[in-house]
Amino acid sequence: MIDWAWIGSHLGEIAARTGEHVLLTVIALVVGFALSMLLAWLAWARPRSYGPITWTAGILYTIPSIALFALLVPFTGLSLLTAEIGLVSYTLLILIRNIVTGLQGTPPSVVEAGLGMGFSDREVLWRLRLPLAVPVVISGLRVAAVTTIGLVTVTALIGRGGLGVFILRGLQRAFTTEILVGTVVTVALALLVDSAFVLAERRLAPWVDRATVR
Amino acid sequence: MTEGAPGHSSTAIRLEDVCKTYPGSAHPAVESLSLEIRAGEVMVLVGPSGCGKTTTLKMINRIIEPTSGRIWIEGTDALTTPPHVLRRGIGYVIQQVGLFPHRTVGENIATVPELLGWEEGAVKRRVAELAKLVGLDPELLGRYPAQLSGGQQQRVGVARALAADPPVLLMDEPFAAVDPIVRQRLQEELVSLQRRLRKTIVFVTHDLDEAILLADRMAVLNLGGKIEQLGTPAEILANPATPFVESFLGRERGLRRLSLLTVEEIDLEKGPVVGPGDGPSAAGQAMDRYGTDWVVVVEDGRLLGWKWGADLADEPHGFRASVAPSDTLRRALDVILTSHTQVAVVEEGGRYLGIIDAAAIGRALAG
Repeated sequence: MIDWAWIGSHLGEIAARTGEHVLLTVIALVVGFALSMLLAWLAWARPRSYGPITWTAGILYTIPSIALFALLVPFTGLSLLTAEIGLVSYTLLILIRNIVTGLQGTPPSVVEAGLGMGFSDREVLWRLRLPLAVPVVISGLRVAAVTTIGLVTVTALIGRGGLGVFILRGLQRAFTTEILVGTVVTVALALLVDSAFVLAERRLAPWVDRATVR
Repeated sequence: MTEGAPGHSSTAIRLEDVCKTYPGSAHPAVESLSLEIRAGEVMVLVGPSGCGKTTTLKMINRIIEPTSGRIWIEGTDALTTPPHVLRRGIGYVIQQVGLFPHRTVGENIATVPELLGWEEGAVKRRVAELAKLVGLDPELLGRYPAQLSGGQQQRVGVARALAADPPVLLMDEPFAAVDPIVRQRLQEELVSLQRRLRKTIVFVTHDLDEAILLADRMAVLNLGGKIEQLGTPAEILANPATPFVESFLGRERGLRRLSLLTVEEIDLEKGPVVGPGDGPSAAGQAMDRYGTDWVVVVEDGRLLGWKWGADLADEPHGFRASVAPSDTLRRALDVILTSHTQVAVVEEGGRYLGIIDAAAIGRALAG
Protein backbone atom coordinates (compact mmCIF):
# COMPACT_ATOMS: atom_id res chain seq x y z
CA MET A 1 0.00 0.00 0.00
CA ILE A 2 2.81 2.38 0.81
CA ASP A 3 5.35 2.91 -1.91
CA TRP A 4 8.53 3.18 0.15
CA ALA A 5 10.66 3.52 -2.97
CA TRP A 6 8.79 6.70 -3.91
CA ILE A 7 9.41 8.10 -0.48
CA GLY A 8 13.10 7.21 -0.67
CA SER A 9 13.48 8.99 -3.99
CA HIS A 10 11.58 12.10 -2.85
CA LEU A 11 13.29 12.82 0.49
CA GLY A 12 14.77 15.99 -0.94
CA GLU A 13 11.39 17.33 -2.01
CA ILE A 14 9.80 16.34 1.31
CA ALA A 15 12.43 18.38 3.14
CA ALA A 16 11.99 21.34 0.80
CA ARG A 17 8.17 21.30 1.10
CA THR A 18 8.44 21.05 4.88
CA GLY A 19 10.70 24.10 4.83
CA GLU A 20 8.14 26.03 2.75
CA HIS A 21 5.40 24.93 5.11
CA VAL A 22 7.31 26.10 8.17
CA LEU A 23 8.14 29.44 6.55
CA LEU A 24 4.49 30.10 5.62
CA THR A 25 3.44 29.20 9.16
CA VAL A 26 6.08 31.32 10.88
CA ILE A 27 5.28 34.40 8.79
CA ALA A 28 1.56 34.00 9.53
CA LEU A 29 2.14 33.59 13.27
CA VAL A 30 4.60 36.45 13.61
CA VAL A 31 2.47 38.88 11.64
CA GLY A 32 -0.74 37.61 13.25
CA PHE A 33 0.68 37.92 16.75
CA ALA A 34 2.02 41.43 16.13
CA LEU A 35 -1.31 42.54 14.68
CA SER A 36 -3.21 40.89 17.52
CA MET A 37 -1.08 42.57 20.18
CA LEU A 38 -1.78 45.90 18.53
CA LEU A 39 -5.51 45.27 18.31
CA ALA A 40 -5.67 43.81 21.82
CA TRP A 41 -3.87 46.86 23.14
CA LEU A 42 -6.40 49.05 21.33
CA ALA A 43 -9.25 47.03 22.80
CA TRP A 44 -7.65 47.35 26.24
CA ALA A 45 -7.07 51.10 25.99
CA ARG A 46 -10.49 51.77 24.39
CA PRO A 47 -12.82 49.12 25.82
CA ARG A 48 -15.60 50.16 23.47
CA SER A 49 -13.54 48.99 20.51
CA TYR A 50 -13.31 45.43 21.86
CA GLY A 51 -16.73 44.41 20.51
CA PRO A 52 -16.20 45.61 16.92
CA ILE A 53 -12.63 44.21 16.84
CA THR A 54 -13.61 40.70 17.91
CA TRP A 55 -16.73 40.84 15.74
CA THR A 56 -14.61 41.57 12.65
CA ALA A 57 -12.05 38.92 13.57
CA GLY A 58 -14.93 36.50 14.13
CA ILE A 59 -16.37 37.17 10.66
CA LEU A 60 -12.95 36.58 9.09
CA TYR A 61 -12.66 33.36 11.05
CA THR A 62 -15.95 31.99 9.68
CA ILE A 63 -15.10 32.47 5.99
CA PRO A 64 -14.07 29.09 4.56
CA SER A 65 -10.39 29.19 3.66
CA ILE A 66 -10.83 28.10 0.04
CA ALA A 67 -13.47 30.79 -0.46
CA LEU A 68 -11.22 33.42 1.08
CA PHE A 69 -8.32 32.56 -1.21
CA ALA A 70 -10.67 32.57 -4.22
CA LEU A 71 -11.93 36.00 -3.20
CA LEU A 72 -8.40 37.39 -2.85
CA VAL A 73 -6.86 36.03 -6.03
CA PRO A 74 -8.44 38.66 -8.35
CA PHE A 75 -6.84 41.38 -6.21
CA THR A 76 -3.53 39.99 -5.07
CA GLY A 77 -2.91 37.14 -7.53
CA LEU A 78 -1.41 33.76 -6.74
CA SER A 79 1.07 35.46 -4.43
CA LEU A 80 2.62 34.96 -1.02
CA LEU A 81 0.56 37.98 0.04
CA THR A 82 -2.69 36.17 -0.82
CA ALA A 83 -1.64 33.15 1.20
CA GLU A 84 -0.56 35.21 4.20
CA ILE A 85 -3.63 37.46 4.23
CA GLY A 86 -5.72 34.34 4.58
CA LEU A 87 -3.49 32.65 7.15
CA VAL A 88 -3.08 35.77 9.30
CA SER A 89 -6.86 36.40 9.29
CA TYR A 90 -7.48 33.05 10.90
CA THR A 91 -5.05 33.69 13.78
CA LEU A 92 -6.57 37.01 14.81
CA LEU A 93 -9.71 35.92 16.66
CA ILE A 94 -8.07 33.40 18.94
CA LEU A 95 -5.00 35.54 19.62
CA ILE A 96 -6.85 38.81 20.32
CA ARG A 97 -9.34 37.05 22.57
CA ASN A 98 -6.65 35.28 24.55
CA ILE A 99 -4.48 38.36 24.96
CA VAL A 100 -7.41 40.44 26.21
CA THR A 101 -8.67 37.63 28.47
CA GLY A 102 -5.15 37.26 29.82
CA LEU A 103 -4.89 40.97 30.62
CA GLN A 104 -8.30 40.93 32.29
CA GLY A 105 -7.50 37.78 34.25
CA THR A 106 -5.19 39.40 36.82
CA PRO A 107 -6.74 38.80 40.25
CA PRO A 108 -8.19 42.09 41.60
CA SER A 109 -6.25 41.63 44.85
CA VAL A 110 -2.97 41.54 42.89
CA VAL A 111 -3.87 44.76 41.09
CA GLU A 112 -4.91 46.39 44.37
CA ALA A 113 -1.69 45.30 46.08
CA GLY A 114 0.32 46.60 43.12
CA LEU A 115 -1.40 49.98 43.30
CA GLY A 116 -0.99 49.96 47.08
CA MET A 117 2.77 49.39 46.71
CA GLY A 118 2.94 52.46 44.47
CA PHE A 119 2.72 51.08 40.92
CA SER A 120 1.38 53.50 38.31
CA ASP A 121 -1.36 52.21 35.98
CA ARG A 122 1.27 51.61 33.33
CA GLU A 123 3.41 49.63 35.78
CA VAL A 124 0.39 47.53 36.70
CA LEU A 125 -0.04 46.72 32.99
CA TRP A 126 3.61 45.98 32.23
CA ARG A 127 4.76 44.44 35.50
CA LEU A 128 1.63 42.55 36.52
CA ARG A 129 -1.01 42.12 33.85
CA LEU A 130 1.26 41.35 30.91
CA PRO A 131 3.55 38.78 32.57
CA LEU A 132 0.58 37.14 34.25
CA ALA A 133 -1.16 36.88 30.85
CA VAL A 134 1.70 34.81 29.40
CA PRO A 135 0.14 31.36 29.98
CA VAL A 136 -3.17 32.36 28.37
CA VAL A 137 -1.42 34.08 25.46
CA ILE A 138 0.75 31.02 24.84
CA SER A 139 -2.25 28.72 24.89
CA GLY A 140 -3.76 31.02 22.23
CA LEU A 141 -0.56 30.76 20.22
CA ARG A 142 -0.70 26.96 20.44
CA VAL A 143 -4.17 26.85 18.95
CA ALA A 144 -3.28 29.44 16.32
CA ALA A 145 -0.12 27.56 15.33
CA VAL A 146 -1.80 24.19 14.99
CA THR A 147 -4.68 25.75 13.01
CA THR A 148 -2.25 27.57 10.73
CA ILE A 149 -0.16 24.46 10.05
CA GLY A 150 -3.33 22.71 8.92
CA LEU A 151 -4.45 25.66 6.80
CA VAL A 152 -1.11 25.99 5.03
CA THR A 153 -1.87 22.71 3.22
CA VAL A 154 -4.66 24.63 1.47
CA THR A 155 -2.26 27.30 0.19
CA ALA A 156 -0.89 24.65 -2.20
CA LEU A 157 -4.01 25.46 -4.22
CA ILE A 158 -2.67 28.91 -5.03
CA GLY A 159 0.79 27.62 -5.81
CA ARG A 160 2.62 28.66 -2.67
CA GLY A 161 4.08 25.22 -1.98
CA GLY A 162 4.15 23.53 1.38
CA LEU A 163 3.17 19.98 2.31
CA GLY A 164 -0.27 20.50 0.73
CA VAL A 165 1.41 20.00 -2.64
CA PHE A 166 1.81 16.27 -1.87
CA ILE A 167 -1.81 15.93 -0.82
CA LEU A 168 -3.08 17.79 -3.88
CA ARG A 169 -0.91 15.85 -6.31
CA GLY A 170 -1.69 12.57 -4.61
CA LEU A 171 -5.41 13.25 -4.93
CA GLN A 172 -5.08 14.12 -8.61
CA ARG A 173 -3.13 10.95 -9.32
CA ALA A 174 -4.99 8.76 -6.79
CA PHE A 175 -1.58 7.96 -5.25
CA THR A 176 -2.10 7.10 -1.58
CA THR A 177 1.57 7.25 -0.57
CA GLU A 178 1.92 10.87 -1.55
CA ILE A 179 -1.32 11.84 0.27
CA LEU A 180 -0.10 10.03 3.37
CA VAL A 181 3.31 11.67 3.28
CA GLY A 182 1.72 15.14 3.09
CA THR A 183 -0.71 14.36 5.89
CA VAL A 184 1.67 12.60 8.29
CA VAL A 185 4.40 15.19 8.03
CA THR A 186 1.84 17.98 8.55
CA VAL A 187 0.46 16.30 11.66
CA ALA A 188 3.98 15.63 12.97
CA LEU A 189 4.88 19.26 12.41
CA ALA A 190 1.78 20.41 14.30
CA LEU A 191 2.56 18.14 17.26
CA LEU A 192 6.18 19.27 17.31
CA VAL A 193 5.27 22.96 17.30
CA ASP A 194 2.63 22.40 19.96
CA SER A 195 5.17 20.72 22.27
CA ALA A 196 7.62 23.54 21.59
CA PHE A 197 5.04 26.01 22.89
CA VAL A 198 4.41 23.88 25.97
CA LEU A 199 8.13 23.95 26.73
CA ALA A 200 8.24 27.69 26.08
CA GLU A 201 5.41 28.22 28.54
CA ARG A 202 7.30 26.32 31.23
CA ARG A 203 10.31 28.54 30.63
CA LEU A 204 8.39 31.81 30.45
CA ALA A 205 5.85 31.12 33.21
CA PRO A 206 7.67 28.93 35.72
CA TRP A 207 5.33 29.95 38.54
CA VAL A 208 2.40 28.11 36.96
CA ASP A 209 4.13 24.79 36.71
CA ARG A 210 5.59 24.81 40.19
CA ALA A 211 2.39 25.83 41.87
CA THR A 212 1.49 22.98 44.15
CA VAL A 213 -1.86 22.16 45.66
CA ARG A 214 -1.94 23.11 49.31
CA MET B 1 -0.64 46.69 73.36
CA THR B 2 -2.56 47.94 76.29
CA GLU B 3 0.25 50.06 77.68
CA GLY B 4 -0.53 52.87 75.24
CA ALA B 5 1.74 54.47 72.71
CA PRO B 6 4.42 56.97 73.61
CA GLY B 7 4.56 60.34 71.87
CA HIS B 8 0.85 61.03 72.14
CA SER B 9 1.47 64.60 71.15
CA SER B 10 2.26 64.07 67.46
CA THR B 11 -0.44 63.30 64.95
CA ALA B 12 0.56 60.95 62.14
CA ILE B 13 -2.67 60.86 60.16
CA ARG B 14 -5.49 63.38 60.28
CA LEU B 15 -8.82 62.89 58.53
CA GLU B 16 -10.93 66.05 58.27
CA ASP B 17 -14.62 65.79 57.34
CA VAL B 18 -13.87 62.99 54.92
CA CYS B 19 -16.84 61.81 52.84
CA LYS B 20 -17.27 59.07 50.31
CA THR B 21 -20.37 58.53 48.24
CA TYR B 22 -20.11 55.77 45.67
CA PRO B 23 -21.57 56.58 42.25
CA GLY B 24 -25.18 55.48 42.02
CA SER B 25 -25.55 55.15 45.77
CA ALA B 26 -28.11 57.23 47.62
CA HIS B 27 -26.36 57.17 50.98
CA PRO B 28 -22.73 58.02 51.61
CA ALA B 29 -20.56 55.07 52.62
CA VAL B 30 -18.69 57.47 54.86
CA GLU B 31 -20.32 60.71 55.89
CA SER B 32 -18.09 63.38 57.32
CA LEU B 33 -15.58 61.41 59.33
CA SER B 34 -12.87 63.19 61.31
CA LEU B 35 -10.17 61.27 63.12
CA GLU B 36 -6.66 61.88 64.39
CA ILE B 37 -4.27 58.97 64.54
CA ARG B 38 -1.22 59.43 66.71
CA ALA B 39 2.29 58.55 65.63
CA GLY B 40 3.24 55.07 66.78
CA GLU B 41 -0.20 53.91 67.84
CA VAL B 42 -2.32 51.07 66.58
CA MET B 43 -5.71 52.50 65.67
CA VAL B 44 -8.27 49.80 65.04
CA LEU B 45 -11.39 50.65 63.06
CA VAL B 46 -14.02 48.17 64.10
CA GLY B 47 -17.70 47.80 63.30
CA PRO B 48 -20.26 45.68 61.52
CA SER B 49 -20.01 45.10 57.77
CA GLY B 50 -21.11 48.09 55.76
CA CYS B 51 -20.02 50.58 58.42
CA GLY B 52 -17.43 52.14 56.10
CA LYS B 53 -14.33 51.01 57.97
CA THR B 54 -12.62 49.57 54.88
CA THR B 55 -13.66 52.57 52.79
CA THR B 56 -12.12 54.83 55.42
CA LEU B 57 -8.87 52.86 55.42
CA LYS B 58 -8.60 52.82 51.64
CA MET B 59 -9.13 56.56 51.41
CA ILE B 60 -5.93 57.06 53.40
CA ASN B 61 -3.79 55.67 50.54
CA ARG B 62 -6.37 56.73 47.94
CA ILE B 63 -7.15 53.25 46.65
CA ILE B 64 -10.58 54.83 47.09
CA GLU B 65 -10.75 58.55 46.31
CA PRO B 66 -12.66 60.60 48.89
CA THR B 67 -15.62 62.57 47.55
CA SER B 68 -14.69 65.46 49.82
CA GLY B 69 -12.67 66.29 52.89
CA ARG B 70 -8.97 66.46 53.62
CA ILE B 71 -6.39 63.88 54.64
CA TRP B 72 -3.00 64.67 56.12
CA ILE B 73 -0.28 62.06 56.47
CA GLU B 74 2.83 63.02 58.42
CA GLY B 75 2.10 66.65 57.67
CA THR B 76 1.66 66.31 53.90
CA ASP B 77 -1.63 66.72 52.09
CA ALA B 78 -2.43 63.25 50.80
CA LEU B 79 -4.95 64.46 48.26
CA THR B 80 -2.52 66.70 46.38
CA THR B 81 0.34 64.19 46.36
CA PRO B 82 0.42 61.89 43.28
CA PRO B 83 -1.09 58.59 44.47
CA HIS B 84 1.84 56.37 43.46
CA VAL B 85 4.29 58.62 45.32
CA LEU B 86 2.04 58.72 48.38
CA ARG B 87 1.61 54.93 48.41
CA ARG B 88 5.32 54.16 48.26
CA GLY B 89 5.56 55.68 51.73
CA ILE B 90 2.64 53.71 53.17
CA GLY B 91 2.72 50.00 53.91
CA TYR B 92 -0.41 48.18 52.74
CA VAL B 93 -1.63 44.73 53.75
CA ILE B 94 -4.95 43.30 52.52
CA GLN B 95 -6.98 40.26 53.41
CA GLN B 96 -6.42 38.45 50.10
CA VAL B 97 -2.69 39.29 50.47
CA GLY B 98 -2.35 40.01 46.74
CA LEU B 99 1.16 38.61 46.37
CA PHE B 100 2.42 38.77 42.78
CA PRO B 101 2.09 35.14 41.61
CA HIS B 102 4.83 35.39 38.97
CA ARG B 103 7.47 36.76 41.32
CA THR B 104 9.31 34.79 43.97
CA VAL B 105 8.76 35.50 47.66
CA GLY B 106 12.04 37.44 47.77
CA GLU B 107 11.08 39.49 44.71
CA ASN B 108 7.68 40.22 46.22
CA ILE B 109 9.26 41.55 49.39
CA ALA B 110 11.70 43.64 47.32
CA THR B 111 8.89 45.39 45.38
CA VAL B 112 8.90 48.82 46.99
CA PRO B 113 12.68 49.12 47.57
CA GLU B 114 13.13 48.33 43.87
CA LEU B 115 10.50 50.89 42.89
CA LEU B 116 12.38 53.43 44.99
CA GLY B 117 15.59 52.56 43.15
CA TRP B 118 17.55 51.08 46.04
CA GLU B 119 20.92 49.66 45.14
CA GLU B 120 20.85 45.88 44.59
CA GLY B 121 22.95 44.88 47.59
CA ALA B 122 20.83 47.00 49.91
CA VAL B 123 17.63 45.39 48.58
CA LYS B 124 19.05 41.92 49.16
CA ARG B 125 20.13 42.70 52.71
CA ARG B 126 16.74 44.24 53.45
CA VAL B 127 14.87 41.19 52.14
CA ALA B 128 16.93 38.86 54.33
CA GLU B 129 16.37 41.13 57.33
CA LEU B 130 12.60 41.20 56.77
CA ALA B 131 12.34 37.44 56.33
CA LYS B 132 13.91 37.12 59.76
CA LEU B 133 11.71 39.84 61.24
CA VAL B 134 8.44 38.19 60.21
CA GLY B 135 9.66 34.66 60.93
CA LEU B 136 10.01 33.36 57.39
CA ASP B 137 12.40 30.53 56.59
CA PRO B 138 15.04 32.04 54.20
CA GLU B 139 14.65 28.90 52.11
CA LEU B 140 11.17 30.14 51.11
CA LEU B 141 12.54 33.31 49.49
CA GLY B 142 13.16 31.53 46.19
CA ARG B 143 9.71 29.97 46.02
CA TYR B 144 6.60 31.25 44.33
CA PRO B 145 3.64 32.45 46.46
CA ALA B 146 1.39 29.57 45.38
CA GLN B 147 3.81 27.19 47.06
CA LEU B 148 3.28 28.75 50.50
CA SER B 149 0.60 28.16 53.13
CA GLY B 150 -1.93 30.89 53.87
CA GLY B 151 -0.12 31.91 57.03
CA GLN B 152 3.23 32.08 55.26
CA GLN B 153 1.68 34.14 52.47
CA GLN B 154 0.37 36.69 54.93
CA ARG B 155 3.81 36.89 56.57
CA VAL B 156 5.22 37.71 53.14
CA GLY B 157 2.46 40.30 52.74
CA VAL B 158 3.50 41.97 56.00
CA ALA B 159 7.20 41.81 55.06
CA ARG B 160 6.46 43.36 51.66
CA ALA B 161 4.50 46.17 53.30
CA LEU B 162 7.36 46.88 55.73
CA ALA B 163 10.12 46.63 53.13
CA ALA B 164 10.90 50.32 52.62
CA ASP B 165 10.36 51.03 56.34
CA PRO B 166 7.28 53.23 55.89
CA PRO B 167 6.17 55.13 59.00
CA VAL B 168 2.53 54.25 58.34
CA LEU B 169 1.00 50.83 57.83
CA LEU B 170 -2.56 50.19 56.65
CA MET B 171 -3.97 46.73 57.33
CA ASP B 172 -7.35 45.66 56.00
CA GLU B 173 -8.57 42.53 57.80
CA PRO B 174 -5.17 40.95 57.18
CA PHE B 175 -5.77 37.82 59.24
CA ALA B 176 -9.43 37.16 58.40
CA ALA B 177 -8.72 34.54 55.74
CA VAL B 178 -6.41 32.25 57.74
CA ASP B 179 -7.52 29.55 60.15
CA PRO B 180 -8.03 30.47 63.82
CA ILE B 181 -4.81 28.93 65.13
CA VAL B 182 -2.61 30.63 62.55
CA ARG B 183 -4.60 33.84 63.03
CA GLN B 184 -3.85 33.90 66.73
CA ARG B 185 -0.17 33.36 66.10
CA LEU B 186 -0.05 36.11 63.47
CA GLN B 187 -1.83 38.47 65.85
CA GLU B 188 0.63 37.75 68.63
CA GLU B 189 3.53 38.23 66.22
CA LEU B 190 2.12 41.57 65.13
CA VAL B 191 1.91 42.66 68.76
CA SER B 192 5.56 41.81 69.38
CA LEU B 193 6.63 43.26 66.02
CA GLN B 194 4.87 46.52 66.83
CA ARG B 195 6.57 46.67 70.23
CA ARG B 196 9.86 46.91 68.39
CA LEU B 197 8.86 48.92 65.32
CA ARG B 198 6.39 51.47 66.72
CA LYS B 199 4.73 52.11 63.35
CA THR B 200 1.58 54.10 63.01
CA ILE B 201 -0.87 51.33 62.15
CA VAL B 202 -4.45 51.69 61.00
CA PHE B 203 -6.06 48.28 61.27
CA VAL B 204 -9.54 47.32 60.07
CA THR B 205 -11.37 44.34 61.48
CA HIS B 206 -14.89 43.16 62.26
CA ASP B 207 -13.49 40.85 64.94
CA LEU B 208 -13.90 42.47 68.35
CA ASP B 209 -11.42 40.19 70.09
CA GLU B 210 -8.81 41.01 67.48
CA ALA B 211 -9.50 44.72 67.95
CA ILE B 212 -9.14 44.43 71.73
CA LEU B 213 -5.90 42.49 71.42
CA LEU B 214 -4.23 44.82 68.95
CA ALA B 215 -5.59 48.29 69.59
CA ASP B 216 -3.93 51.09 71.46
CA ARG B 217 -7.11 52.96 70.65
CA MET B 218 -10.11 51.83 68.70
CA ALA B 219 -12.92 53.57 66.88
CA VAL B 220 -16.27 51.80 66.87
CA LEU B 221 -18.01 52.70 63.60
CA ASN B 222 -21.71 52.65 62.78
CA LEU B 223 -23.28 52.79 59.30
CA GLY B 224 -22.02 55.71 57.24
CA GLY B 225 -18.67 55.76 59.01
CA LYS B 226 -20.15 57.42 62.09
CA ILE B 227 -17.74 57.13 65.01
CA GLU B 228 -19.86 55.94 67.93
CA GLN B 229 -16.97 55.81 70.35
CA LEU B 230 -13.24 56.41 70.31
CA GLY B 231 -10.97 55.27 73.10
CA THR B 232 -8.75 52.55 74.47
CA PRO B 233 -10.28 49.06 74.49
CA ALA B 234 -10.39 49.18 78.30
CA GLU B 235 -12.27 52.50 78.30
CA ILE B 236 -14.77 51.35 75.73
CA LEU B 237 -15.41 48.00 77.39
CA ALA B 238 -15.80 49.62 80.80
CA ASN B 239 -18.06 52.44 79.61
CA PRO B 240 -19.82 51.94 76.27
CA ALA B 241 -20.88 55.43 75.17
CA THR B 242 -24.02 54.48 73.24
CA PRO B 243 -26.50 51.62 72.99
CA PHE B 244 -25.00 50.79 69.60
CA VAL B 245 -21.55 50.29 71.14
CA GLU B 246 -23.01 48.29 73.99
CA SER B 247 -24.81 45.93 71.64
CA PHE B 248 -21.76 45.67 69.38
CA LEU B 249 -19.60 44.71 72.36
CA GLY B 250 -22.08 41.96 73.08
CA ARG B 251 -22.88 39.93 76.14
CA GLU B 252 -19.32 38.89 76.85
CA ARG B 253 -18.16 42.41 77.59
CA GLY B 254 -17.12 41.44 81.12
CA LEU B 255 -15.11 38.46 79.92
CA ARG B 256 -13.45 40.58 77.27
CA ARG B 257 -12.42 43.14 79.89
CA LEU B 258 -10.78 40.32 81.80
CA SER B 259 -8.38 39.83 78.92
CA LEU B 260 -7.31 43.46 79.13
CA LEU B 261 -6.36 43.44 82.82
CA THR B 262 -3.31 41.66 84.19
CA VAL B 263 -2.89 40.05 87.57
CA GLU B 264 -0.28 42.61 88.64
CA GLU B 265 -2.72 45.46 87.99
CA ILE B 266 -5.04 44.45 90.83
CA ASP B 267 -4.40 44.56 94.58
CA LEU B 268 -3.27 41.06 95.43
CA GLU B 269 -4.10 39.56 98.80
CA LYS B 270 -1.19 38.40 100.86
CA GLY B 271 -2.96 35.16 101.85
CA PRO B 272 -2.61 32.92 104.96
CA VAL B 273 1.17 32.86 104.92
CA VAL B 274 3.28 30.97 107.43
CA GLY B 275 6.97 30.12 107.67
CA PRO B 276 8.14 26.50 107.33
CA GLY B 277 8.82 26.21 111.05
CA ASP B 278 5.68 28.00 112.31
CA GLY B 279 3.44 26.17 114.77
CA PRO B 280 -0.35 25.87 115.13
CA SER B 281 -0.86 29.27 116.77
CA ALA B 282 0.71 31.23 113.89
CA ALA B 283 -1.14 29.07 111.39
CA GLY B 284 -4.41 29.52 113.25
CA GLN B 285 -4.06 33.30 113.18
CA ALA B 286 -3.28 33.32 109.46
CA MET B 287 -6.25 31.04 108.66
CA ASP B 288 -8.64 33.06 110.80
CA ARG B 289 -7.72 36.24 108.96
CA TYR B 290 -8.58 34.73 105.56
CA GLY B 291 -11.21 32.21 106.61
CA THR B 292 -9.33 29.24 105.19
CA ASP B 293 -8.41 25.81 106.52
CA TRP B 294 -5.05 25.83 104.80
CA VAL B 295 -1.91 27.93 104.80
CA VAL B 296 0.72 29.01 102.28
CA VAL B 297 4.25 28.11 103.29
CA VAL B 298 6.80 30.75 102.34
CA GLU B 299 10.46 30.95 103.28
CA ASP B 300 12.36 34.19 102.64
CA GLY B 301 9.89 35.16 99.91
CA ARG B 302 10.19 31.78 98.19
CA LEU B 303 7.04 29.69 97.74
CA LEU B 304 7.31 26.20 99.23
CA GLY B 305 3.67 25.11 98.83
CA TRP B 306 0.57 24.76 100.99
CA LYS B 307 -0.53 22.63 103.97
CA TRP B 308 -3.78 21.79 105.69
CA GLY B 309 -4.03 23.70 108.93
CA ALA B 310 -4.69 20.38 110.68
CA ASP B 311 -1.60 18.68 109.27
CA LEU B 312 1.17 21.19 109.81
CA ALA B 313 3.72 18.42 110.19
CA ASP B 314 3.24 17.34 106.55
CA GLU B 315 5.55 18.34 103.73
CA PRO B 316 4.01 21.26 101.78
CA HIS B 317 1.92 20.33 98.71
CA GLY B 318 2.42 22.02 95.35
CA PHE B 319 -0.27 24.42 94.12
CA ARG B 320 -2.34 23.10 91.25
CA ALA B 321 -3.33 26.59 90.16
CA SER B 322 -0.58 29.10 89.58
CA VAL B 323 -0.36 32.30 87.57
CA ALA B 324 2.31 34.87 86.79
CA PRO B 325 1.87 38.62 87.41
CA SER B 326 1.87 39.29 83.65
CA ASP B 327 -1.01 36.87 83.02
CA THR B 328 -4.42 38.31 82.23
CA LEU B 329 -7.32 38.06 84.65
CA ARG B 330 -9.03 35.95 82.01
CA ARG B 331 -6.23 33.42 82.25
CA ALA B 332 -6.28 33.55 86.05
CA LEU B 333 -10.00 32.84 86.10
CA ASP B 334 -9.54 30.01 83.64
CA VAL B 335 -6.79 28.47 85.77
CA ILE B 336 -8.97 28.65 88.88
CA LEU B 337 -11.96 27.08 87.12
CA THR B 338 -10.11 24.29 85.34
CA SER B 339 -8.08 23.22 88.37
CA HIS B 340 -11.24 22.94 90.52
CA THR B 341 -9.90 25.17 93.26
CA GLN B 342 -11.12 28.49 94.60
CA VAL B 343 -7.78 30.17 94.46
CA ALA B 344 -4.59 30.50 92.43
CA VAL B 345 -1.18 31.37 93.75
CA VAL B 346 0.67 34.24 92.13
CA GLU B 347 4.35 33.62 91.72
CA GLU B 348 7.19 34.52 89.46
CA GLY B 349 10.21 32.27 89.26
CA GLY B 350 9.41 30.68 92.64
CA ARG B 351 8.95 34.05 94.34
CA TYR B 352 5.65 34.27 96.20
CA LEU B 353 3.54 37.33 95.43
CA GLY B 354 0.09 36.55 96.81
CA ILE B 355 -3.15 34.77 96.02
CA ILE B 356 -6.00 35.54 93.70
CA ASP B 357 -9.55 34.17 93.72
CA ALA B 358 -12.73 34.61 91.70
CA ALA B 359 -14.07 37.19 94.15
CA ALA B 360 -10.94 39.34 93.74
CA ILE B 361 -11.35 39.15 89.95
CA GLY B 362 -14.96 40.23 90.30
CA ARG B 363 -13.96 43.20 92.45
CA ALA B 364 -11.36 44.25 89.87
CA LEU B 365 -14.05 44.43 87.16
CA ALA B 366 -16.40 46.41 89.38
CA GLY B 367 -13.69 48.87 90.36
